[in-house]
Amino acid sequence: MITLVYGGSGSGKSAFAEDLVCKTDYPNRYYLATMQSFDEESDKRIKRHRSLRDGKGFITIECPVDIANAIIDKDSIVLLECMSNLVANEMFREESPKTFTECADKILDDVKALSKKADSLVIVTNNIFEDGLSFNESTKEYMRALGLINETLAKISNEVYEVVVGIGIKL
Amino acid sequence: MILVIGGSYQGKTEYALKTFEEVRFFNQAHLFIKKRLSEGRNQDDIYAELKAITSDGQWVIIADEIGNGVVPMDEADRTYREVAGRILIELAKEADEVHRVILGIGQRIK
Repeated sequence: MITLVYGGSGSGKSAFAEDLVCKTDYPNRYYLATMQSFDEESDKRIKRHRSLRDGKGFITIECPVDIANAIIDKDSIVLLECMSNLVANEMFREESPKTFTECADKILDDVKALSKKADSLVIVTNNIFEDGLSFNESTKEYMRALGLINETLAKISNEVYEVVVGIGIKL
Repeated sequence: MILVIGGSYQGKTEYALKTFEEVRFFNQAHLFIKKRLSEGRNQDDIYAELKAITSDGQWVIIADEIGNGVVPMDEADRTYREVAGRILIELAKEADEVHRVILGIGQRIK
């Protein structure tokens, strides 16, 4: 079972996704954290998210790349947060970045492998597509990869939600 | 209080004017937040001011959704996006109704 949670920055998608997980009663709750800390701002974001999760019984696994390798016990629900960081980490992990289709295929294979290990998988992903600005080629490749992944995940998910001002809208 | 949100140029104001009667309007709340941030005010402070302004009588607050884009390069732009988003979430929690407008079409989502 896969649930996809989609929303913009500051839309409340993380809190919504955590609530979804906390309404279930799987014995194990895993939080796969894909964000890497490289400056004060990302430190602050990570700390804010950690404090949101405090007391909710999550086991946090730092997993910036290769999510298929995460060790997950059975009877588990996994919250993957978030796809936009994972795509950036996978795409730019080597000196010559992968093309967007290579990157999307790799990540989608990893998601499928991960979803076989967990009873339920909740994936948080980002809407970065509606500001109407134009970007350089590497950012466009990144957007193509994330767009393709989002679309494919929506197809294979059992439920898809868009979060707007903290309100989940079922699509 | 009623909250109306949506992207820019989606017909939010027109929708609000024709949908709600006998109310007062606080339009472009996102720009109010941006201005207050530029004056060095923080999220809690700005939220409290917005609440105080709209505490008396029935108000409709209208704001742009600004978080649906690529992470901006500029730190102040990132802060603005984040703070505006957080304040709108708090307002949505308080609101009796939340409407989202796309292409001039309003959907009540709360």
